Amino acid sequence: MHPIVQDLRYGVRLFSKTPSVALIAVAALALGTGASTAIFSVVDAALWKPLPFREPKSLVVIWEQNPALDTFRMFAAPANLPAWRQNRSFEAMSALTSARLNLTGGPNGHIEPEELRAERVSADLFSTLGVQPSLGRAFQPDEDVPGHTNFVLLSNSLWQRRFGGDSQVVGKSIRLRDQSYRVVGVLPAGFSVLDPLVDVWLPLGLNPSDPRAALSRTLSVVARLKPGVPIERARAEMQAIGARLDQANPALNSGWRPALYPLREELVGKTQKALDVIMAAVGLLILMACANVANLLLARGAARQKELAVRVALGASRVRIAGQLLSESAILSLAGGAVGLVLARVLLVLLSRLGSTSIPRIAEARFDVRMFLFAVAVSLFSALLFGIVPAIQGSGDGLRAALADEGRGGTAGRSRRLARNLLVVAEIALAVVVLIAAGLLLRSFVRLRATNPGFQPDSLLTFRLPLGGGRNTASDRRAPFLDRVAAVLIALPGARSIGAVDSLPLTGLGVGSSFAVEGRPEPPAGRRPLGLMRSVTADYFRTMGIPLMAGRGFTDSDTPQSPSVAIVDQALVRRYLPEQSPLGSHLTLDQVAHRVVEIVGVVGEVKPETIEGDAWPTIYVPYAQRPLTGMTFVLRTARSPLALAAAVEREIHQLDPDQPVTGLRAMDQVIGDALAEARFDTVLLAGFAEIAFLLCAVGIYGVISYDTTQRTREIGIRMALGAQPGDVLRLILRQGAWLAGCGIALGLAAAFSLTRLMASMLYGVRPSDFPTFAAMAALLGAVALLASYLPSRRAMALDPVAALRHE
Amino acid sequence: MITLRNLEKFYEGGYGRSYVLRRINIDIKEGEFVTVMGPSGAGKSTLLSILGMLDGAWTGEFEFFNHLVHRMKPKERVELNKKYIGFVFQSYHLIDNLTVYENLDIPLSYRNVKSSERAATVCDTLDRFHIVGKRDLYPSQLSGGQQQLVAVARAVIANPKLILADEPTGNLHSSQGKEIMELFKKLNDEGATIVQVTHSEANAAYGHRIIQLADGWVVSGGSTAAA
Repeated sequence: MHPIVQDLRYGVRLFSKTPSVALIAVAALALGTGASTAIFSVVDAALWKPLPFREPKSLVVIWEQNPALDTFRMFAAPANLPAWRQNRSFEAMSALTSARLNLTGGPNGHIEPEELRAERVSADLFSTLGVQPSLGRAFQPDEDVPGHTNFVLLSNSLWQRRFGGDSQVVGKSIRLRDQSYRVVGVLPAGFSVLDPLVDVWLPLGLNPSDPRAALSRTLSVVARLKPGVPIERARAEMQAIGARLDQANPALNSGWRPALYPLREELVGKTQKALDVIMAAVGLLILMACANVANLLLARGAARQKELAVRVALGASRVRIAGQLLSESAILSLAGGAVGLVLARVLLVLLSRLGSTSIPRIAEARFDVRMFLFAVAVSLFSALLFGIVPAIQGSGDGLRAALADEGRGGTAGRSRRLARNLLVVAEIALAVVVLIAAGLLLRSFVRLRATNPGFQPDSLLTFRLPLGGGRNTASDRRAPFLDRVAAVLIALPGARSIGAVDSLPLTGLGVGSSFAVEGRPEPPAGRRPLGLMRSVTADYFRTMGIPLMAGRGFTDSDTPQSPSVAIVDQALVRRYLPEQSPLGSHLTLDQVAHRVVEIVGVVGEVKPETIEGDAWPTIYVPYAQRPLTGMTFVLRTARSPLALAAAVEREIHQLDPDQPVTGLRAMDQVIGDALAEARFDTVLLAGFAEIAFLLCAVGIYGVISYDTTQRTREIGIRMALGAQPGDVLRLILRQGAWLAGCGIALGLAAAFSLTRLMASMLYGVRPSDFPTFAAMAALLGAVALLASYLPSRRAMALDPVAALRHE
Repeated sequence: MITLRNLEKFYEGGYGRSYVLRRINIDIKEGEFVTVMGPSGAGKSTLLSILGMLDGAWTGEFEFFNHLVHRMKPKERVELNKKYIGFVFQSYHLIDNLTVYENLDIPLSYRNVKSSERAATVCDTLDRFHIVGKRDLYPSQLSGGQQQLVAVARAVIANPKLILADEPTGNLHSSQGKEIMELFKKLNDEGATIVQVTHSEANAAYGHRIIQLADGWVVSGGSTAAA
């Protein structure tokens, strides 16, 4: 039999006789390789994989910023686009803006209505990005002319889901709202620009001279740098253009300047820090797994010293011994790698589901062979390195001592024991870091969950009614229809109150408007205050549980014919009307045709975008005075909100069978989605912490247990000399406590310097949060003592006579 | 066959050198059955380890089968060990996770013997030592005497010219020990040179002469050549 085959057979037999050792090693390696591969695959897709565009590093996003207004990523003004395009830095510049449209008809006529997420884009967007449709073609310039934009590109997912993947769909027409649009093409699977959920793209049909857009900022701009032009030069040029626009049109541009960001940074910037932290945690996990395996192998090596000495005495060369040990280590590594492979695939699926709404491009995450091989290589290296230590050791004295009956430990044994202790201390230190990071995130997440979003989220059902394109699209039909909807739904058993708003809290900033306070000095052009605009029905505040702080709510008497009124929130009052009672003040709303509204009430603030973010100054107007086509209803229920979901859909469809009802979910889910990223980070780190905890406990137990066995004779002597079981317990625990103490101290120091890197991920918790540090240190200390206590029980029960005979 | 001249082994300690063997002068002819005796700590096992090339940290001259061992590199000494020497330990030192067959096979595999030849040799040895029925048993399933028997079989399976035995009956009953000594006698009659370390006078009687060690010195029975 070939020596390698012989060694492999022997290795398998050896592991089958000590299955716990093999299982622990394989599990540690599997966790290390599997977790690292899965996480790396996600991080790679989100951060490192090239964007699916031609030369993606040349692509930038251009926002507008106004530091004086504390605004740094605002949509660009359509009126500025022609001037922006007069530049030397970019070879192409395209614009896009979001929209929502109802799908009301398919190529074959009637279709189940659905609200679609859309982007209106410049015709040259796809050439700017370097993307070709997978079917058909992109828009042509003459299709991007105001009034002649009834063309549409489908997303691959919509094409598959609603049109059966029909290869003949190009050239056919579908109805969006109340108009017919010709399908010109289908975009590749997974294509998106800034919004990953877009269903259809339509031509922008921009008219920069449109007076309705004179003071608006509604566009996202994507541009491609010319070859060899660095982004800094482009920034400088755009700054100069912005300065000229400031002079030319101060009403729009005073204080505003273009702000350029690489497209990749725009897509993943917010999550980069979190993913970096997660990758670091994975790296620590791999180190811990390797330390665990190394410890196991060193212990095995020590226990097999005699066997290896016999083999040498029988004629085995060091190379031969090394080959045997390498074979055994390879078995462990390969078994660990195989299990890790399965684990990686499972974890990838779980991660994709968990992070589907919070991690960009996670749907593109694929099992990364490179990382898997790297992780296996690291584990293999670790296993091989520590597996062959016994083969490296072997002076004549060591060999003879190993064979002699009186040979015990010696210099080689002490150094190996030191190595094992150092490994355990390192493992504990690493575990402390991971546990503290997870603990901080957990506290942060709990604080986030406990943060008052400004309303009462429990027992609230929400759903969206997009009216555009349906039989209730006309402005005079919208309010009566919504009133009928409210009337039938409030009559449902279990319904308590109902309201509607155009933009639900925690779903985005939505529409805003600059405004002026009557009777105040006119602020410089471009420096007018900004606030969020919301259209709401009369019962909205009561239904949401948003407190009325002063004045009155909206009533049925607030009609299109009555004086224009508004309710503001405390954030606006605090910022713009601090010295006076706001009631009776008048605001001029620039984006609502300079309408003048009287403030009749003040309500509490709500978080418009994120729970951890700040409230924005907000202006509420009655729906009757600003009836929009897309409104989100909130229905307060007596029981579980989703219990009424089916009834809600049924009642609405009885009123209008073609009315889409979208986004039917409990408000708790809205909050959950707002917390998705934080939850993803927390769950992931918590998972790592559990694994680190386990590896640490096993590592400590292994070292203490092995050392206790090695000290059996010593313990027997101590007991023969009068030591009581309690004395033996203290002896063993002292060793475990010493290891734990060193590891925890090191870990705390490391955590103190490392956790400040995750400050931006935390909410309401400092990176050096003392309770977290103390709790994790105490937890690991307790685990270390418990892991030491178990072997000490064995030692306490020793028979001194048997112990003295122990070899 | 074996010539030791002024062989010494010592450890450097805080208070100077600590000698284990001092000016050892020994001659052993081929075919001899030599016993090394002496009190505990006399250096008997150390001497045996040096003879078996298991210990390379010594000074002096060591000639083995016309090879000047003191001038050889460790790798060359290992080759010498493989070619000529079989070792029997007091504690048997069988490998616990290998069967009797596999324990016998190990020395042959380390000497790069072809697997077909190894199989034949192992079977012959099993038969020679009357342990065919034990071939698939593990050491833990054998008595002490049986284990030592297997250890002796393992030591001779590669046909060594020199058999070194360190207290071969130290862990055996007297009857088992007698069996092992009879075996050694038989091997010696067949031509093997045997050097044993023992405390037992009865075992020493099987040999041709006794080398007495005390405190690392050869007291009697070694070489008569002057230092």
